[in-house]
Amino acid sequence: MAISITESIRVGLSDFWSRKIRSFVTILGIMLGTMSVIVILAMVNGINKQTLAWMMERGGLAKITIHHNWGYESKKNLPDYFTLKEIFNIRELLPEAQYYNPEMNDWGRLSYLDKSFRTRVQGIVPDFQFIEEWSVDQGRFISQFDIDQNNDVIVIGTKAVEELFGSAEPLGKFINFNSRRLQIIGIMKHRYLKNSFNVGDENSLDYLNWRCFVPISTMINKISGEDKINTLTLKAHSPEEAPDLADKLEEILLNMRQGEPIFDIQSAKEEAQQIEKNAGTFRVVFFLISIISLLVAGIVIINIMLATIQERTREIGIRLAVGARRFDIFIQFLVQTVIVTFIGGLIGTAAGISMLNIVSKYMEFQLIAYPGMVIVALAVAVGVGFLAGIIPAVKAANLDPVQALHYE
Amino acid sequence: MENVIRFENIEKIYDMGKVSVQALRGVSSDIKKGEFVAVIGPSGSGKSTLMHIMGCLDTATTGSYWLEGKEISKMKKNRLSQIRNKQIGFVFQTFNLLPHLNVRRNVELPLMYSGISAGKRYKMAEKVLNDVGLGDRMNHKPSELSGGQRQRVAIARAIVNNPAIILADEPTGNLDTSSGNDILSIFSQLNLTGNTIIIVTHDPAVAQRADRIIRIVDGLIVE
Ligand SMILES: Nc1ncnc2c1ncn2[C@@H]1O[C@H](COP(=O)(O)OP(=O)(O)OP(=O)(O)O)[C@@H](O)[C@H]1O
Ligand SMILES: [Mg+2]
Repeated sequence: MAISITESIRVGLSDFWSRKIRSFVTILGIMLGTMSVIVILAMVNGINKQTLAWMMERGGLAKITIHHNWGYESKKNLPDYFTLKEIFNIRELLPEAQYYNPEMNDWGRLSYLDKSFRTRVQGIVPDFQFIEEWSVDQGRFISQFDIDQNNDVIVIGTKAVEELFGSAEPLGKFINFNSRRLQIIGIMKHRYLKNSFNVGDENSLDYLNWRCFVPISTMINKISGEDKINTLTLKAHSPEEAPDLADKLEEILLNMRQGEPIFDIQSAKEEAQQIEKNAGTFRVVFFLISIISLLVAGIVIINIMLATIQERTREIGIRLAVGARRFDIFIQFLVQTVIVTFIGGLIGTAAGISMLNIVSKYMEFQLIAYPGMVIVALAVAVGVGFLAGIIPAVKAANLDPVQALHYE
Repeated sequence: MENVIRFENIEKIYDMGKVSVQALRGVSSDIKKGEFVAVIGPSGSGKSTLMHIMGCLDTATTGSYWLEGKEISKMKKNRLSQIRNKQIGFVFQTFNLLPHLNVRRNVELPLMYSGISAGKRYKMAEKVLNDVGLGDRMNHKPSELSGGQRQRVAIARAIVNNPAIILADEPTGNLDTSSGNDILSIFSQLNLTGNTIIIVTHDPAVAQRADRIIRIVDGLIVE
């Protein structure tokens, strides 16, 4: 007996097309609203993806990094670096960590025959490969034997190969670093991660390709001549254990420096959580903004629909006279509002997706689309239409047949 | 012959706060199946009010009204919609077609609210439009038709669901004499094929076509 939903949709659609300008004005707000929802979702998604990808490339979420706490000035002038012996002590106190890598850096000039360039050479231990998940492409990495023997060996990055050797074979050759002769035993794998922030290098890991590595003992005893380790990295067995490990580490380091927070401990897992939290806040804030714009769109829709219904009072009277029930009238106008907002949502979604690249360029940051956001945006649009459609539809359904028929 | 319509002591009071208008002051009558009745009377006498009540668009303040033997004064609004849809066909002075729908869709409107399938609707609308001589105008918008043609579309819409009564309120009021006569001929034709017709009119010439005249003066039936 009742008019079917498909019939309502057909009536709603023909209403939509026969009143193009009004329909367009109605969907404008919804269009902008869904468009911003799409852009926001893609933005948050892009940030998450990029930061997480970067963290995974830099050793994953189980990694913990310790270095001097720049925000703290020691009152008693305590050392803001570790000695190799201290590192062994920490390792004994905290056997739960899977890998340890003390790092000591030195800047200087690397030269081979007539070619040279300035770079940073890092003294490290073999655990470096497992913490950074990065090792050699050719030759071999630094071994425990090299450490024990203070061997004059070096593993170079692809940039050093480019600068010093071009197409010549580097393995086995001797190069100089700050007038120390070192033999090349390995070449590191080239690192690459596409940079979705449109500033800086296209390869966001390119700085790593400049690096060269020597045994930490060689660095301490033969190159810099100082036992001052500025960075310690370690890795838990799993990301879940990392925050706990970081807590224990903090206690040990405080004890080592008479309770002064000289060192800064960064857990990748905690950072990731912080980033996610920030992204969450960001998402909430922007979602509120789009909710407000959709709310305004909803109020506009209510008013336009009320005006439409007033204008169509006589039509409603005619429909009632030929047998429409109040529910039929209600559904007709509700469906019409939902159709209008759905179409607005579709256009807004399409516009939002097609402008992601432009927004990416403008924001110097890559926005990444994903299928789920289309559903979210359309659901939001239809939801607004549904809520905004109820009041006018109820008003239409409650019109008195005789009065509606004689409305001028 | 059985009574299609029977009403007793119908009163209608329009209550508008400070003042109230008593449009009908207790009217009673009955109309038999297949009758052609004209309701006449001066302006403001209550003719349209009576027609709205007979057409179930409105309900009486007091009194009883039976349509095809069923008392309807106490029925719910949805039930009244159903009765208007199935048992009543309206023709108005101002045609009351939906301007953005074509002729065929206008005629299909009551069928749509009956839940009849699109294919069947099309055939039924086509048939009645042929009956009123507008088979070749099915896809025109009402604005593309003359007044007389529009009123024929309205008649097609009124009869498409095969109602028990056809109610027409001043159906020739907006038409010139010749197209008015065409419309009246259609009503006569419909009456000959067994339809019950009630026409509200000012025009004595129109009233002459009827089997019977109900004259209303000041809210009362005087003849
Ligand atoms: N909705 C309403 N509210 C208040 N009064 C009304 C209403 N409808 C009709 N009336 C009054 O009821 C009385 C009867 O009106 P009705 O429309 O039935 O007259 P009518 O006989 O059809 O007149 P006409 O020939 O001019 O169409 C009139 O006094 C009119 O003003
Ligand atoms: Mg009247």
